[in-house]
Amino acid sequence: MNTTIAAITLRAMVGRRRAVLLLAMPVILLGLAVALRLTGVAGVGTSRAVLGAFALGTLVPLLGLIIGTGVIGPEIDDGSIVYLLAKPVSRFVIVFTKLVVAVGCVAVFAAVPTLAAGLIMAGDRRGLALGYGVGALVGGAVYCAVFLMLGVLTRHAVVVGLLYALLWESLIGGYVPGARTLSVRQWAVSVTSAVAEHGAVPADVRLRVAVPLLLVAAVAATWYAGWRLRSLALTSDE
Amino acid sequence: MPPSDQPSGVIHDIGYRGYDGARLGRGYLVRSLFSHSLRGAYGLGRPARSKVMPALLFGAMALPALIMVVVMVITKAGILPMDYVDYIPVTFYLISIFLAAQSPQLVSRDLRFRVVPLYLSRPVSYADYVLAKYAAMAAALLILTATPMLIIYVGALLTELPFWAQTKGLLRGLAGALLFAAVLAGIGLAIASATPRRGFGVAAIISSILVSHAVVSSVQGIAIGTGHPTVAMYAALFTPFYLVNSLQLWLFNPRVSLLFGSMPMPQGWQGAAFAAVALAIVAGSASFLLLRYRRVSAS
Amino acid sequence: MSVISIERASRWFGNVVAVNDVSMTIGPGVTGLLGPNGAGKSTLIHLMGGFLAPSAGTVTLDGALVWHNVDVYRRVGLVPEREAMYDFLTGWQFTLANARLHGLADPEAAATRALQTVEMTFAQDRRLDTYSKGMKQRVKMAAALVHDPAVLLLDEPFNGMDPRQRLHLIDLIRRMGADGRTVLFSSHILEEVEQVASHIEVVVAGRHAASGDFRAIRRLMIDRPHVFLIRSSDDRRLAAALIADGSTAAVELDGRERALRVHAVDFQRFVLLLPRLAREHRLRLYMVSPSDESLESVFSYLVAS
Repeated sequence: MNTTIAAITLRAMVGRRRAVLLLAMPVILLGLAVALRLTGVAGVGTSRAVLGAFALGTLVPLLGLIIGTGVIGPEIDDGSIVYLLAKPVSRFVIVFTKLVVAVGCVAVFAAVPTLAAGLIMAGDRRGLALGYGVGALVGGAVYCAVFLMLGVLTRHAVVVGLLYALLWESLIGGYVPGARTLSVRQWAVSVTSAVAEHGAVPADVRLRVAVPLLLVAAVAATWYAGWRLRSLALTSDE
Repeated sequence: MPPSDQPSGVIHDIGYRGYDGARLGRGYLVRSLFSHSLRGAYGLGRPARSKVMPALLFGAMALPALIMVVVMVITKAGILPMDYVDYIPVTFYLISIFLAAQSPQLVSRDLRFRVVPLYLSRPVSYADYVLAKYAAMAAALLILTATPMLIIYVGALLTELPFWAQTKGLLRGLAGALLFAAVLAGIGLAIASATPRRGFGVAAIISSILVSHAVVSSVQGIAIGTGHPTVAMYAALFTPFYLVNSLQLWLFNPRVSLLFGSMPMPQGWQGAAFAAVALAIVAGSASFLLLRYRRVSAS
Repeated sequence: MSVISIERASRWFGNVVAVNDVSMTIGPGVTGLLGPNGAGKSTLIHLMGGFLAPSAGTVTLDGALVWHNVDVYRRVGLVPEREAMYDFLTGWQFTLANARLHGLADPEAAATRALQTVEMTFAQDRRLDTYSKGMKQRVKMAAALVHDPAVLLLDEPFNGMDPRQRLHLIDLIRRMGADGRTVLFSSHILEEVEQVASHIEVVVAGRHAASGDFRAIRRLMIDRPHVFLIRSSDDRRLAAALIADGSTAAVELDGRERALRVHAVDFQRFVLLLPRLAREHRLRLYMVSPSDESLESVFSYLVAS
């Protein structure tokens, strides 16, 4: 973990326009939570639906995508990453540092707002807020690792990531039951289920299957990203 | 060449000629820009790499239609599994990815490499440029969404479903596709032109569509569950796919849709709100683009 | 003493060979890498900088491979061609970050020194995106110098610079070379390379075309045997007259071309001799054309020598 790289990455990440996009989504989530609470509709079932489908199902993957690709994609795209590469710094350290920054951003922009939205809607009933907050953090972290790896592999990481999310998580997850075991979202749901009160959140994948898979996915993606970064070719514009 | 001690020189007119012939007019320029952009949206005329994504998405869009046709032929079911107007709302994710991926291809590249002044130094005004780009994106979307409908149509006729009913259904579907194309193209291009970075543009477009879609879905689910169907109906205004879907079903007949027929749909004058919002999106996007490119052309 | 050694290195991208069997040694002092656009200069610099792996051959710095070797960057400073930097940082912050990334013991002092060397201290507290192109180039140099490297690689450093900035950069590069560093810069403009580099490597279409002192190369290019194709009113008489003089190595009457082919070994002498002989023997010269001015033949001659 290299503090200089972390500082540069963080500053690049939260620069103006990108910050607007990153901020907009938790604001919408919190706005929705408040609106539901004020109209008296927020209950356990509603909270499960909103936090599960909206926060965990849409917000976390999207933020994971934007943040995960955003910590390394633009630098590779415009070539400024050469200033990190032309240093006696291990590529794995570079990748890991950026991942730490990404997870931090995900925590701030996805996990904490999910926790807050849960508290607003359901209070501390059935541990839903905490459960979904932790699930969002864990899921977001793995998404970051995977999409950061994609950012190293291709310049079209965002679109490829979207296709992955579409094909894998939605379609196959919907139609091929076995594939759910390999879905980051389902792992996050398992973690949520474990943290929340027993039985409050149904999960398709057992915790003792989900956690190792989460770790394996995160570690493997991070390692592979560092491996490929060693051989990154500096190209000219486009 | 004879060696000579005296410096002398002569320049021969060997190539450069001015052009005095007929020049094709502004209409030709705009049409060319349109067709060039449209082809670019599908990666034609660009390296093979840029054809992968559009080809993949086009295939993915057509695939369910093909499967439907095969199923119809095999089972001789006699009815369509879903109506023509349902196809777009069902495949909205794919269409969104196409919009998010290709809108930046049309506008971000020109902005990033600052070639817009090159276009504008020809008898093309920035309004023409915007018009051509907008029309190209809308046409690209139309091709993407109309082709599966045509596939279903052909399949339906092959399985000898009633001709007139099918034709009417197709025409309704195509009209709806046109509405979708107009609204979506505006949204995609407006967002994409706000940033010269391609990846960021993609993220912004897809986020806008997916997040608004998810929020509205949640709200609709809750509203219906708690007995507020009107809220559910008007919630659709806030996300493009539900907006245009409600609009198209209001224009035709909600019962035409086999999937969304039971959802609360605008009746009578309520639909005017939807038409107004759709129009506002188209006009607003076009204005935004015009303002954006007027600034670019002035800079 | 740091020496970059490129041995029979080639690099291809699919069917395109960017660098073709190049061998060269870059030692202390200023070396200019000269070649037309697309000749493979950038590829060569990337190979030397460890950003590309050679498809064949080796690239080493003092015996150690530069590929997949992050420690080599302690001794190498790279000034890349692309303009993009971390625009949101100030000149000072950028140089300091580079110093820190090198793990220097006193990064602030090193950054100050580097900025003073490139004379950018006056603007160091302004953001990089407010800099002009020349200023950005100088800050890039500062970032490359901050760890006092023994090797400096500059990729097209003079691109887009105005005359004053050029002079400043030339002076800087000369100083670096005089310090005993190994400095390599690329350019496609002969005059730039001429003014700065003591040693030149010429690369054409991926091949190593020439190497050595600039004046020696220029002389080689003029002093090589020239082949002329001549048509006159009496080719045979002219041939006899020409071969009598020492500046001509061979004459050949080409029946097919109906012309005289002459191999001249002393160019300066020959070009004065030919018209004089023609006048003396009352011959009319209809055509005198050099028949091996193509780059290929020049190149093959240079490579052979």
